[in-house]
Amino acid sequence: MARRRSPARLVIALSVAAALAIFLVYTALAGGTPSLRPSQVAGHDGRMSVAGKVVGQPSGTARGPEGLRFTIKDVEGTATLPVVYRGSVPDLFKTGRDVSVEGSLQNGVFVADKLVTKCPSKYTNKQS
Amino acid sequence: MPGLGSAALVVAFGLVAYAAVAGGYAAFRGRRRLLESATNALFASFASVLLAAIVLLGALARHDFSFSYVASHTSRELPLGYTLASFWSGQEGSLLLWLLVLTGIGSAAVALNRRLIRTVIPWTVPILGAIASFFALLLVFVASPFETQIAPADGAGMNPSLQNPYMLAHPPLLYLGYVGLTIPFAFAMGALASGRADERWIIATRRWTLASWTFLGFAILLGAKWAYEEVGWGGWYAWDPVENAALMPWLVATAFLHSVMVQEKKNMLRVWNAVLVAGAFCLSLFGTFLTRSGVINSIHSFTQSSIGAWFLGFIAVVAAASTALIIYRLPLLRSRTRLESLVSREAAFLYNNLFLVAFALTVLWGVIYPLVSEAVRGVAVTVGAPYYDFFAIAFGLPLVLLMGIGPLVAWRRASLRAVGRSLLWPAGTALVVGILLLLAGAGSSPAGLVGYTFAAFVLAAIALEFVRGTRARHALGAGSWFVAFTSLVGRNRRRYGGYVVHAAIVLLLIGAVGIGGFGTTHEGKLTQGQSVQVGAYTLTYLGSEQRRAANSQELRARLAVSRGGEDLGTVLAGKNRYFAEQQTSNEVAIRSDWLRAEDLFVIADQFNPDGSVFVKVIVNPLVNLIWLAGLLFVAGSLITLWPDAREQRRLARRFAEEGALARV
Amino acid sequence: MDVLAVALGALLAVAAVAFVARPFLAEPDAADDRLAGLTSAEQERLGLLERRDRALGALKELEFDHRTGKIADSDYEASVGPLRKEAAEAMKALEPLAPPAPAPVEKVDVRA
Repeated sequence: MARRRSPARLVIALSVAAALAIFLVYTALAGGTPSLRPSQVAGHDGRMSVAGKVVGQPSGTARGPEGLRFTIKDVEGTATLPVVYRGSVPDLFKTGRDVSVEGSLQNGVFVADKLVTKCPSKYTNKQS
Repeated sequence: MPGLGSAALVVAFGLVAYAAVAGGYAAFRGRRRLLESATNALFASFASVLLAAIVLLGALARHDFSFSYVASHTSRELPLGYTLASFWSGQEGSLLLWLLVLTGIGSAAVALNRRLIRTVIPWTVPILGAIASFFALLLVFVASPFETQIAPADGAGMNPSLQNPYMLAHPPLLYLGYVGLTIPFAFAMGALASGRADERWIIATRRWTLASWTFLGFAILLGAKWAYEEVGWGGWYAWDPVENAALMPWLVATAFLHSVMVQEKKNMLRVWNAVLVAGAFCLSLFGTFLTRSGVINSIHSFTQSSIGAWFLGFIAVVAAASTALIIYRLPLLRSRTRLESLVSREAAFLYNNLFLVAFALTVLWGVIYPLVSEAVRGVAVTVGAPYYDFFAIAFGLPLVLLMGIGPLVAWRRASLRAVGRSLLWPAGTALVVGILLLLAGAGSSPAGLVGYTFAAFVLAAIALEFVRGTRARHALGAGSWFVAFTSLVGRNRRRYGGYVVHAAIVLLLIGAVGIGGFGTTHEGKLTQGQSVQVGAYTLTYLGSEQRRAANSQELRARLAVSRGGEDLGTVLAGKNRYFAEQQTSNEVAIRSDWLRAEDLFVIADQFNPDGSVFVKVIVNPLVNLIWLAGLLFVAGSLITLWPDAREQRRLARRFAEEGALARV
Repeated sequence: MDVLAVALGALLAVAAVAFVARPFLAEPDAADDRLAGLTSAEQERLGLLERRDRALGALKELEFDHRTGKIADSDYEASVGPLRKEAAEAMKALEPLAPPAPAPVEKVDVRA
């Protein structure tokens, strides 16, 4: 028999290795914006994403001149961070919700242009 | 009646546990009556779970708020449809649905195949019993739908964003898909456990696998449409972990469907298939886990719900047991047939599998990475659309290409000359289409242009297949061209149904690329009477209107739409403010143009006190092809699934030859 | 209400146990309680049947692909011989292993 070893195995092994290499490298370099907690924001510069729980009463409007102003707090902890957001407000946004904002820190206030509410499992009742 | 429901669940737990233990012993020792007893237990468990389900449905219909579940998920003013649909809106109810579907289709699959597979069924019964035992265990000890309380005056009601017809269809269809994957898993592992080297279990479970896969795929698209209309950010797929939870098992199941064909025809890839089917099942459990345990919020919320820990444990057990079984039976699985050529249909199927599995792993990594990163480094990350889009293109484009090449290549060994000749016409068509699109300005999205060129290639290849096949049948004297066509499809349902499904996927691609690569967005403030041009459309803000509904205040902006001078009517976009929930939801306006398959998407972000409105207008070209693709997908699957009298007769003859009609 | 639930629950449990015990109740002392597995001869037969069907199926597909122009004449000539030989071999090997008496083909619910 001319070919004892099936090329199939070699093809599979090489492909798997290649695929693994590609996406491990990708995630290490480019994938994933660090998602910080309000308590970790202080030292950071540049663009970042912060996740926390909305506390207090939001004020202003997201499309208005002042933007939507609210405060987010560490999910587990007490550190808070004031946020100013300009853009579309997603449906589930309200006090008590977990949100993720993307932007940068300017003069102690986080200026965000992206706001995402963490969708709790879709099937939760009214209270959550 | 909560007591009856609990009792029914306890009885069901006892029955499936017995089916698992007694069935396993009976299979191991070869005891006929004990196995029959275990099989009866499986059948009876369905009746018992059905009773529990009826009790819950009755409580929901009656608004019996002494049931904690009913009180926390419904309210008096909730319409009946949604009240009944809340069966699956909560944790406990959805677990009950899982168990109901599992015992139901498990019993059906065993009953229908009882006489055909003499040595696989004895192992399939305990495996199904073991899986059902897990869910029954959860329902009895951890998350019972029959907890009681002092009945409050009214229930908590359903989240307003869930109150829409999609809620009635999407979860049950999704579960039919998820749970359906248990059948091929149980039969495959049963075949391994029994030491059988033949492929009858594949034939027996083929339609079950195909049906589950179809339900899962359709449910994913239905979910996407729901998100498109309800969440309304203008897009159709956000690579949210909850969405990916269903996509991953579907991708692996697609790979399995293809490679199992190779196993059936060439007796190859048997180890790979065993791994795939176990992987698909574990991923469907993982998908259920992701959407049920709240782990995706953050790793912290994971510990709040103990369900998550149970699921992870169960997935680990299933994965370990499957791996052990596969390794144990490795000598049996080693195929004697070898891949003869890297240019053959077998090879094409292999490449297809590699890309599908690679893509599934990519999605899995994207879902897990944030959790891993947080657990290991303490730094959470979010994996966004760019990561997924990159790999969707990297793996998706070759997959599309393979969809076109695969059918044109022969089994075993295809001479490059023959392949080249077959590819000539489709490739030529693709090139022409590509150039035309480039001239029309599609070069703005290079990936999109390539995608469309490939799409044209595949569609041309599929069309060629139909033409050549019809011509061949006509040459055999089949009568008119129409008769030739229908008899062609009728006699080769799997092949041509498969081509229709491929065409559906290509249609999906065209739509996805259209909305992803060639759309237009505009954001800005509009005063009353002011117009704005977005793409080919002109919108004029006419004014705002308010209306009070039963449980909400509706605020809408009315905009007149025209295109090229032609008046297209008005659209209403705005917000609903729900009193009880103290929540505002966006109600977007979607104007679908079915002829051009595009959507005009209007979001009214803010109503200013001076009467002006801030809108975001999006033009989504070709998006409606995505939904059309869903329908075509189901149609293609139906063609493939349709019972074939000739195939039945052939199989009956073969089974008679095997003397397989003796009772177990 | 509660008593009714308990009574119904008990009834359910009894019915379940009865159904599960039925095989033992129907045949208290079964002469042959062995699970009819496949003997090695039957396994071999099954393997040969599948080999035969696989070869016949491949021939049919080859025929179809050739007629629709996917396979060149030369490739067809090259492949059809070995496939026919394989099918013939499998069928020949099956003859001595045929079952003793041809069972009447019952109407079987072949849901595949």
